[in-house]
Amino acid sequence: MSSGHEVETNREARTIEEQRQTILELQTPVIEVWNGILTLPIVGSVDTARSQEMNEALLQKIVDTGAEIVILDITAVPVVDTAVAKHLLETVSASRLLGAEVLIVGLSARTAMTLVHLGLDLSGVTTRTTLAKGLQLAFSLLGLEVVRRRESASDRLAPDGLDMGV
Amino acid sequence: MARAPIIRIGEVLIATVQEDLNDQDAVDLQDELNQQLERTGSSGVLLDVSQLKLIDSFLGRMLRDIATGARLLGAHTVVVGIQPAVAVTLVELGLELTGVYTALNSEKGLQLLRRLMASERARYRSGNERSRIH
Amino acid sequence: MNARESTDLVIAVDGENGIVIARSQARALARDLGFGMVDQSRIATAVSELTRNIVRYATGGRGEVVIRDVINASNRPGIEIVVSDDGPGIPDINLAMRDGMSTSSGLGLGLPGTRRLMDEMEIDSGAGRGTVVTIRKWRR
Repeated sequence: MSSGHEVETNREARTIEEQRQTILELQTPVIEVWNGILTLPIVGSVDTARSQEMNEALLQKIVDTGAEIVILDITAVPVVDTAVAKHLLETVSASRLLGAEVLIVGLSARTAMTLVHLGLDLSGVTTRTTLAKGLQLAFSLLGLEVVRRRESASDRLAPDGLDMGV
Repeated sequence: MARAPIIRIGEVLIATVQEDLNDQDAVDLQDELNQQLERTGSSGVLLDVSQLKLIDSFLGRMLRDIATGARLLGAHTVVVGIQPAVAVTLVELGLELTGVYTALNSEKGLQLLRRLMASERARYRSGNERSRIH
Repeated sequence: MNARESTDLVIAVDGENGIVIARSQARALARDLGFGMVDQSRIATAVSELTRNIVRYATGGRGEVVIRDVINASNRPGIEIVVSDDGPGIPDINLAMRDGMSTSSGLGLGLPGTRRLMDEMEIDSGAGRGTVVTIRKWRR
């Protein structure tokens, strides 16, 4: 095998890898909603292949952004059974290895009952019912606070957003 | 073979784990860290594994053992730089890195160590005060 | 079972250094076959686990690792690794495959974990007759 051939193989392998990464990112919409906070809405069923792709894309995003909090939104996941729960736990564990804590939001009452019945150890997982609540928790974990500004005359805006100057 | 150099910065020992570390190197690293902890009384260990393209059950156990040993010698351990592919594989392998703190990189790892060392000191102080009141 | 072909990569394991060699060769072939970074890591880790079993448990720490590329019935390319030794063998394979004897406890052969990383795994073993573990992973 000549060295020229080896260089060609390596370059091809790299290109294939880069293309794969791009496809992965497009399929898994990880959004940085705030400095250091990522959200990932999961829509549809979570099988092994999908879960693995999700983890790859999410972890890469954690590396790229240095985010320390990940909010996994399972509102749109129709069925949460043992397999799905295990996949979610894997996402939690893998993210932790990269220094990010995972909050799972969007649990329904039915999902909660299912998980309790399954008897899985979910003690290490933090959950909230809605994305908004998850975001609130994320802010407080990062030591951030949302504060309403004191209203002054110059804050009053006309309906079309123009400063009234009253 | 590939010897991981151990650097001391303040209260923290920093070791960068070389790629292609074989089993004996791993054991040597553990020994070396324990000896240095005993000698220097450092209260923090930062293990940089960013060069590892693979962490199998043996290396995983080594990381756990290093953390346990360091704890016995009065130091917290933070592992940094686990590559995404390695993290996914570790989790699928089913290896639990219990007792091992992790952070994304050295900078965050040192921040975490400082927090751990500070809260430890605070606990120690308040514990002492409690016993004095008696 | 498979005829030895000239494109097979054969690694004679004799001691600990065989682990690093076997897994880096497996990773190299996986990379050349177009496996992604995570799959490369899975394959290398699986090979590391199995090769370590040779060093730990086989007679004299000796055995053999054969790495080859394969094609399945649907024309999908993949990698196949056969790890064999003449050691004491696994008397109860079912027991070894139970998660209680997995990598986390530090005991056992890490077979369940290895199985999870790969697509296929076959174990041919018995008390006193050595062990042959074959693992395969297919490109997506």
